[in-house]
Amino acid sequence: MAFRVNKIVWQLLRRNISQSQMIGYAVANLVGLIIVLTAIQFYQDVKSMQGNDDAFISARYIVISKRVQGLGSLLGPRAEFSQEEVSEIAAQPWAEEVGTFTASAFSVYASVELASKYMSTALFFESIPDEFFDVKPSDWTFDPAGSTMIPIIIPKDYLALYNFGFAASKGLPQISEEMVQMIPINIRIGDNFRHQAFTGRIVGFSSRLNTIAVPELFMQWANAQYATTPIAMPSRLIVKAHDPGDKAMIDYIENHEYEIAGNALNSGKIMAMLSLVTVIVVVVGIVISLLAFFILLLSIHLLLQKNREKLRNLMLLGYTSAEVARYYHLLVASINATVLIVALIVVSVVRLWWLNILQTIGEPQGGMSLTIMLSILAMILITTFNLNSISRHTRDTLSKK
Amino acid sequence: MERINNISLKGLLPRVFAQNQDAGRNRASDVWLGNVTFERGQRYMITAESGSGKSSLCSYLYGHRNDYEGVVSFDDSDISAFDSNHWSKLRREHISLLPQEMRLFPELTVMENIELKNSLTNYKSTQEIETMLARLEIEDKKSELVGLLSIGQQQRVAIVRALCQPMDYLLLDEPVSHLDERANRLVASLVEEEITKQQSALIVTSVGNPLLIKAQAMKL
Repeated sequence: MAFRVNKIVWQLLRRNISQSQMIGYAVANLVGLIIVLTAIQFYQDVKSMQGNDDAFISARYIVISKRVQGLGSLLGPRAEFSQEEVSEIAAQPWAEEVGTFTASAFSVYASVELASKYMSTALFFESIPDEFFDVKPSDWTFDPAGSTMIPIIIPKDYLALYNFGFAASKGLPQISEEMVQMIPINIRIGDNFRHQAFTGRIVGFSSRLNTIAVPELFMQWANAQYATTPIAMPSRLIVKAHDPGDKAMIDYIENHEYEIAGNALNSGKIMAMLSLVTVIVVVVGIVISLLAFFILLLSIHLLLQKNREKLRNLMLLGYTSAEVARYYHLLVASINATVLIVALIVVSVVRLWWLNILQTIGEPQGGMSLTIMLSILAMILITTFNLNSISRHTRDTLSKK
Repeated sequence: MERINNISLKGLLPRVFAQNQDAGRNRASDVWLGNVTFERGQRYMITAESGSGKSSLCSYLYGHRNDYEGVVSFDDSDISAFDSNHWSKLRREHISLLPQEMRLFPELTVMENIELKNSLTNYKSTQEIETMLARLEIEDKKSELVGLLSIGQQQRVAIVRALCQPMDYLLLDEPVSHLDERANRLVASLVEEEITKQQSALIVTSVGNPLLIKAQAMKL
């Protein structure tokens, strides 16, 4: 028989429903759900920001160097990695891939004309293997036969150093990343006897590559052509880690007195902390939701006890327990649906507030679709449990003769 | 489902009587421990002293209780095997019971109490229900809460409600215990008309104020 709401039955059954218990359930469930959803959404938003502070190299890459000790470089061994040390690191379980920085063994002079002021400086280049780039900058290549253009990546900090330190004190204009990328840099490599001129162009900024990076192809070619000093062992390594917050990795690096460049490790630690906090908050939310669930069960149980005589009389008229239970199903399903909608509204409003704060330190990406999907899934699950236990309780209440 | 033509009792006895070992009284009964068949189309008047188990008998036949020994069969099916959904169907289409305690909902009006049953069966029109109420002289009470009616008026509401369904068997447990002779006759004529029309069996119990209807007498 198709189910239709019989007003009289509803009028009869609704009489003993405790409004305060239902509100108590709804509020507790709402609080639990909001906590869970807020935590999940916040985690996603923060995580989405973490990915985009460096377009080229992801957070899984860390740069390791040896600590330079006092006068060590003058008296003792230089801060370089031997072939054995590199292989040992590559063999560590936390290391997925290890690449070496290749330094230029030739002289580099760069000059630039900016706001009719002419600046020139001695420079150095380094390169890392191409496969360590997540996203290769456009034109990240070099053809020794034809091109005179060298793509360059510089650390983000250099631009900040110029803009907020140098330019400010010298009365020079501040420049944006886009502008820097348009400035041609005159580059001369080699010595006074044998040299070659190129045009350098900054194609990107990295917060993880703390060096002036050029394509490896160019480095190999230039080192072969213009090396004036023997090609040194690498002093820096780039490691693709399985998990940048890995305790074993941090311990290893500390034990060997290596150093990690930049804040890659910190951000890994922060993400690990954030994950932990998120898990704790989600668990608290789930516990609250579970308590709410038990409030509901208790409340329904009491209600059925109070209505027991009525339910039996309905059964004697020919109603089935399923037909009777459906009125409570309808009640609980509508409460749950309301809770879901209110929780999503609350989370999206609260999200606006934290998005404002997060936007001052980066651009969060992605929307709420995962949270919405998860919440709907959770609510379907909760409601299914609710309805099942109502059906069971109703049957139990009525089957006692 | 086919109509039920026979209800047969074999060695039926409430468990509580079996424990009491009240053998003398049980043997004197036409029903308990006997081999009895109620046929559709017949009328049975079961007279009993109070405490002799007539309400128990009605509860057993209605699937409401099963604390008995022996076997009750509808046609050839043992009713102890029926599940609650099957009983719901029987209670909508085959067996109607007027319990002695009536089991009306005092917080609902007369009409709502009747509609509660009729909306399950869609058997009577509102017009027909009103006519039945009128014949039992309680039509003016149709919008009143049942809790505010006298027991006699409630009894008549419960009778109308019991007639709002298709039935093979009509079980009336002391239907007129609170009615005077005049009202008794009104009820009897309404019941007579309905069971004749539906070709149902009537099983009616009494402890002293019998429904004034022609029926085969049995002693419980």
